[in-house]
Amino acid sequence: MIVDAHVHIGKSTRLQIDADAAFLVRTADELGFDKICCTDLTALFYDMHEGNHLLYEQMLRYPDRIIGYASLHSTRFGRESLEELDRCHEVYGMRGLKIYSTPEVSIAEPAMIPILEKCVEHRLPVLAHATPAECEYLMERVPEAVLMMAHGGGQPYAKGDWNRAIMAAQKFSNLFLETASSTVDSGFVTTAVETLGAEKVVFGTDTPLLDPYVQQAKIANARLDGRARELVMGGNILRLMDLAA
Amino acid sequence: MIIDIHTYIGKWPHWPLPVSSTSGWVETLAREGVDTAVICSTRSLFVSWEDGNREAEDAVSKHPKRLLAFACLGPTEFSHKLAGASLDFDSYDARGFRGIRLYPQYHSYHPLYEPFVERVCQAAEVRSWPVFLPLRAVMNWGAPTIELNWMVDLVERFPRTQWILAGINYFQELRVAIQLMRRHPSVHLETSCVQGFNGIEKLVQECGSRQVLFGSGAPLQCLGAGLQKVLHANLADPDREAILGGNARQLLHLG
Repeated sequence: MIVDAHVHIGKSTRLQIDADAAFLVRTADELGFDKICCTDLTALFYDMHEGNHLLYEQMLRYPDRIIGYASLHSTRFGRESLEELDRCHEVYGMRGLKIYSTPEVSIAEPAMIPILEKCVEHRLPVLAHATPAECEYLMERVPEAVLMMAHGGGQPYAKGDWNRAIMAAQKFSNLFLETASSTVDSGFVTTAVETLGAEKVVFGTDTPLLDPYVQQAKIANARLDGRARELVMGGNILRLMDLAA
Repeated sequence: MIIDIHTYIGKWPHWPLPVSSTSGWVETLAREGVDTAVICSTRSLFVSWEDGNREAEDAVSKHPKRLLAFACLGPTEFSHKLAGASLDFDSYDARGFRGIRLYPQYHSYHPLYEPFVERVCQAAEVRSWPVFLPLRAVMNWGAPTIELNWMVDLVERFPRTQWILAGINYFQELRVAIQLMRRHPSVHLETSCVQGFNGIEKLVQECGSRQVLFGSGAPLQCLGAGLQKVLHANLADPDREAILGGNARQLLHLG
């Protein structure tokens, strides 16, 4: 089963995205992906309540295809964030959390700790758009949390340093790498799997921001055996979300 | 015929590459179905552009059916050894170089205030050489970049130069490149860092396929990933063929 662990739904002016579920499912069909894990852009960048509810409505249209991430636009909303996480998990049936770390608000701060603890309580893996250093800060404080470093931990604020991300993931059993990225540096996926084991690398595309064929080709061109490929392409994210393959 | 306009030989000092020998690189090209790759040595970026050019020349002489080289050039004025030397463009011509690559971000100069850039553009124009100008060498946020406005100002200052704009990724970069391509038929864009959803398709919708060239940035970047974005783009076959090789064939006068 192929599962894309990093997909965006909804609208964003900065990212120039306006994508509904029908479009994303059609794109997944073209690529041969069985399921897509979506995060709503309004929830991620503007209003968590509105955006997560929009995603829930889209999930209802495609219950077998769309897995929802709850999204929070900041760590700074205290109890409101925790209640939103409860709602997303218990009412909406979402299976993970997506959160951005930005120069305005880093997620490597005490306010993130109760959010992570809530994720542990609900067994929600966290797709964190954060630097390796930020992820290390969080893993040191809540080691039972499951964190996936979005973009291989090598996004702009981390200066593209995926080697550093691999070193961070070596230190924590619950710190994973997700592969979607504008970076297509040769050897990234192969090095990650050889260093960390295939169990710790999760396939994602960042559709509809990035070209999913490029992201798919990064895995196809990596030196992986059949079992490793299955884990990376879907087995790992399903296991982390407690979903059957 | 597939021509990759943006490739390298040599080492990458920041992390190991899966392919670091020229023979290994040529095997990879054959395996991926790329007929011709335009190379430059990474030695030219990090050590000495002239030593790198010799390396590229040697690689082409060993693999003349698979490789072509652009000369990588920089200013000489502040060089320990080359100070006062003038660039002998005829010799690069005689050595078989087919174009010029500029890397201001690796060679510590401002291209708008460096007289040698004017000489390069004039020489390139006379010889119908393209000039390859990367915003960034690879789409990695740690990689040094030049200012987008430098690219604009250079193109506007030398509009008859056959430019190949490289390393373009973000929306604002693409929008600027598209405007330059619309204004100047001499401006081309290579695809190595265009990673956006339907990016190639949108480019062709905006400015046609004639000025778009397939480039991968390999082996620093993944060649297969670079190819897939063109192979899977929703394009008419003639457009795809032009991007994959036809346009480069014309630009490089490959008959």
